[in-house]
Amino acid sequence: MNNGNIFLDLLVRFAPEGTPSWLLDLSAAGVGVGILVAMVSVIAMFCVWMERKVAGHIQCRYGPMYVGGWHGWAQSIADGVKLLLKEDMIPIGADRPLFVLAPALVLGSIFAALAALPLAPGVFFADIDLGLFFILAMSSMTTIGVVMAGWASASKWTVYGAMREAAQVVAYEIPLGISLMVPLIVAGTFNLNEASALQSGWYGMHWYIFQNPFVLPAFALFFISALAETKRAPFDLPEAESELVAGFMTEYSGIRWSFFFMEEYAAMFLMSVVAAVFFLGGFESPFTSLARDVFGEQHFLASLTAGLVLLVKAFGGIFLMMWLRWTLPRVRIDQVMTMGYKYLTPLALLCVLGASIFEALWLGVA
Amino acid sequence: MSVVASYINNIVSGVKSTLVGMRITGKYFLKKPITVQYPDERLPIPNRYRGIHYLEQEKCINCLACARACPVDCIEMDAVRHGKELEWVKFTIDYQKCMFCELCVYPCPKDCIHMGNEFAFVTTDRSELHHDLLSYKGMSREARIRKREAEEKKKKKAAAKAAKAAKEAQAAETEGDPPQPTEGEA
Repeated sequence: MNNGNIFLDLLVRFAPEGTPSWLLDLSAAGVGVGILVAMVSVIAMFCVWMERKVAGHIQCRYGPMYVGGWHGWAQSIADGVKLLLKEDMIPIGADRPLFVLAPALVLGSIFAALAALPLAPGVFFADIDLGLFFILAMSSMTTIGVVMAGWASASKWTVYGAMREAAQVVAYEIPLGISLMVPLIVAGTFNLNEASALQSGWYGMHWYIFQNPFVLPAFALFFISALAETKRAPFDLPEAESELVAGFMTEYSGIRWSFFFMEEYAAMFLMSVVAAVFFLGGFESPFTSLARDVFGEQHFLASLTAGLVLLVKAFGGIFLMMWLRWTLPRVRIDQVMTMGYKYLTPLALLCVLGASIFEALWLGVA
Repeated sequence: MSVVASYINNIVSGVKSTLVGMRITGKYFLKKPITVQYPDERLPIPNRYRGIHYLEQEKCINCLACARACPVDCIEMDAVRHGKELEWVKFTIDYQKCMFCELCVYPCPKDCIHMGNEFAFVTTDRSELHHDLLSYKGMSREARIRKREAEEKKKKKAAAKAAKAAKEAQAAETEGDPPQPTEGEA
């Protein structure tokens, strides 16, 4: 039986008789949040290290090489410790409550979005039927935090950054959502677990991008919109270090600043996982299919293989984002707007139309 | 119609130029980095590189040619002469002044001052930029031995001379006849 949370299931199994159910719920939530926070921190730190390595190698240098011995693997840990020990400064003119709340809101909403992600088939923090909807809603909340941070800092740079963030994210929410409608039309479910399971045919290669010819262009559109959503170069206008110092996070330091930093990488991971689940087969791959055949459907190793496959796909997406960042120069704000409204949105709508017609006529699912 | 054509053309050229860029960066990503892990490995330094000086102190004769040639007067040297041997007091180069022009190297008659290949000499204090090029102060062991030998030789020579003089005097005495040169001394 599944209550929607594996920790709750485990606790129900091992808790003594007569434990009140609210206590079980609360402790399950606590354990889940703890694991989620640890997971996100590790992923963010790994991504930072990876980003520096990828950037280095693209520019014919090594990147971090010393801290920790092997290729500077502990660089992010050292940076994290440094950030924790740094002075936490709040500018005199700043709106204190908002200034303090903003990074928490940004990180909290991205954590909430990550809670809906499946870790392996049947292993999840929260199995939400409207999972994708929830993820999109929660990841859009970060914008409010960013605008809040920009306004509360009482600095010109931060206000510019916040304005740009607001304009850009509003523009790119539309193609992001519309391009995700294409695989949704094919899948017929918002639930990430179910959407992933529906791609298990053809020895694990029955991915949505192969099921319908309009999903592949929709994937490209989704990826570009996701880049803009996560404020990654070439769409990093809210940060724009060469024009706006650091944009909305100019006035932040120490651990509060690292919250914004972590949010960026967590959002990258989130978008990559969503892309993997709704376009690139989710858990399904020939390896997953093979592992299921060898170990059996419910076996631990089959689940582990599936989880690893999803992780590899997610990091493939993250790598692509990094590759693009170190390839393309930053675009101007008017170019960002043009691209969002004049190119991505109509093309996404065309994809939806095409996919619907394809599903209705060729496959007869009307 | 041209609006639609340029719209499609924009999409195609945008995608194409992105792919071209990604191909280039991807190629560099797979290449071996060209940077060197500096303190661990260093690029080879050219033979004629002008780094910190080094001095072959045994050859140096304290002629001051290098100090005089120096356009910024950053070389200070001093030595006491004992016969042929030198007792070194100092030979310093002030790297706050030195401009690594190599003009001190050419006039040296003994070819004993050179520009080395060391370039990293960061210090936390200005006074540490006065480099002492002497590997030893005072006299070297060899010089001391040579000096002692020379002194002994001199002493021996003096002794031999004295003995010879005494002998001659004695010979003169035994002959008896010649005039006495020792009279005045006595």
